[in-house]
Amino acid sequence: MATIELDKVDKHYGAYHALRDISFDIADGEFVVLVGPSGCGKSTLLRTLAGLEDITGGTIRLGGQRVDNIAAKDRDVAMVFQNYALYPHMTVRENMAFALKLRGDTLPDRNAKVDKAAEMLRLTPYLDRYPKALSGGQRQRVAMGRAMVRSPKAFFFDEPLSNLDAALRVDMRSEIKALHQRLGATSVYVTHDQIEAMTMADRIVVLRDGKVEQIGAPLELYDRPANIFVAGFIGSPAMNKLSVKIDLKSNAARLADGSSFSLPPGTRARDGQDAIYGIRPDHWILSRGDQGAPATVELIEPTGAEILVAAQLAGQRVLCAFRERHALKAGDTIALAVDPATAHVFDKQTEQRISP
Amino acid sequence: MRRSGLASFLLWIGLTLLTLLPVWWMLVVSMRPRVKLYSKSVLIDAVYWDNFLAVLNSATFLRYLWNSMLVATSNAALVCALGLLAAFGLSRYRISGGDNVFFWLITNRMAPPAVFLLPLFLLFTKWFVFGDAMLFDTKIGLILLYCVFNLPFAIWLLKGMLDGIPLELDEAARVDGATTAQVLSNVILPLARPGLAVTFILTWIFAWNEYLFAATLTSSANARTVTTALAEYVSVTGTNWGEMAAMAFLTTLPALIVLGFVQKHIVAGLTFGALKG
Repeated sequence: MATIELDKVDKHYGAYHALRDISFDIADGEFVVLVGPSGCGKSTLLRTLAGLEDITGGTIRLGGQRVDNIAAKDRDVAMVFQNYALYPHMTVRENMAFALKLRGDTLPDRNAKVDKAAEMLRLTPYLDRYPKALSGGQRQRVAMGRAMVRSPKAFFFDEPLSNLDAALRVDMRSEIKALHQRLGATSVYVTHDQIEAMTMADRIVVLRDGKVEQIGAPLELYDRPANIFVAGFIGSPAMNKLSVKIDLKSNAARLADGSSFSLPPGTRARDGQDAIYGIRPDHWILSRGDQGAPATVELIEPTGAEILVAAQLAGQRVLCAFRERHALKAGDTIALAVDPATAHVFDKQTEQRISP
Repeated sequence: MRRSGLASFLLWIGLTLLTLLPVWWMLVVSMRPRVKLYSKSVLIDAVYWDNFLAVLNSATFLRYLWNSMLVATSNAALVCALGLLAAFGLSRYRISGGDNVFFWLITNRMAPPAVFLLPLFLLFTKWFVFGDAMLFDTKIGLILLYCVFNLPFAIWLLKGMLDGIPLELDEAARVDGATTAQVLSNVILPLARPGLAVTFILTWIFAWNEYLFAATLTSSANARTVTTALAEYVSVTGTNWGEMAAMAFLTTLPALIVLGFVQKHIVAGLTFGALKG
């Protein structure tokens, strides 16, 4: 087990700047998820940690030792690939024992370690099979077993669940998390699925265009996104982002039709400033009487646990999620109110958060 | 069977017979004594082994056979080893101008081999001379020469094969602690085995069947191969057709047997890269 320290990591592919000045530390035993849209550099970052890609600038330390200048084989890390990358010509046992064999463990030693990992992963009956005779979930577990048997300094996962079907993905998600709690290994996990990120991570690193947008615990990112991008990326359904003008006299964010919402206390804004007022779908309050902004219901989607209501609010489409089973139908006019403490305000120009 | 089905069936039967006719004729002639050579029948009228016995009792022929075995097998082994390394480099590393290197290799096969005869003869007799030793009339000379002609083909075949092996396997092995040599020996080599088998067999057959260079660049039992032996039956005093046919049949046999065993793998090997893409 080990800490990982990244300091000003830069990566160029020719003229393309894939990673820009990335610095953060990962504590011993921490589970960190790198998340972001396609092409944000999350897989590249993971591959530089594993030693499969060189970096152009900066340093990477693993357990205090500088590793950015040493080869993958000497870093003592394990990686689980998206397509599993099991050796097709080796049985499950041989796949799992390959790294041990390379480093010169004795046969009884190898077998003991493989047997232990196989038992943990419920793979014991399949040890003599070849990968092609396994299901997707089993292959995934073999890939994890291959990483586990070595007790490496760190585990790297590159979108390990994206080739599985939805139900299996949820199972494997909790399995990986349980395994991490049991092994306590430093882990870095790449995904584009923010639900995976939220459910598994101790800390999430949100990346965009090769830059770190925000680092924090899942709920910290959900409750206090640092900018519009993170606000839109974390949370499902996504946060509503209303274009507003700040009216400091009445301490309100004013919509195009004149209706307004109160600003969260402590918002650092100028009068007349263009801003984005962000409200999570489940934070809308369906208001009785004349409080709140008027909106027209466009579409209703009951999911059972809640009803999703799409509505037009001052020419902007908003999505609301209500726990109560309000009797609504398309065309109804409703009044939407917000508790300002749950709202997020961002500068429209800099896209940075200006509410506390 | 529908009429078009029957027609194509008959067409293929006809083409197959046409292809096999020379082979059959070779067998028929090899089983005839000299006096019956020009008989009109296309059937074997009697079993007559003397031609075969004469060939098999000839020390020269056996020497030539041994030369052929040695040259073809060494050439195939060398080509497989070098071809695999070259294909690994071209497939796995971003080499500047890699595509050009690849094309340039293939161009080696574009000119008719006869074009190279005179320069090769001069190289073998005048340039690659070390003291008293020269490449002319040596088995090693033939082995190296066949490598030149077989390598482009082998690299082309093996590169397709290696391109079909996912790069993640190399990466997984490297993270597992493998050196490049270990990646090659533990991951690439076992997975490329069908391709290597095909390469080995096809290059072996090329070297086994080659006549032009063998006839020009060798002059004695030291290095002459079976294909050149066949030509020696044509002499000023006439041609011993029976023995020549027997020898031709014996020469064809190993290649025929090998091909029969592996033809399924050859088809699989040739299409492997395309399917895995």
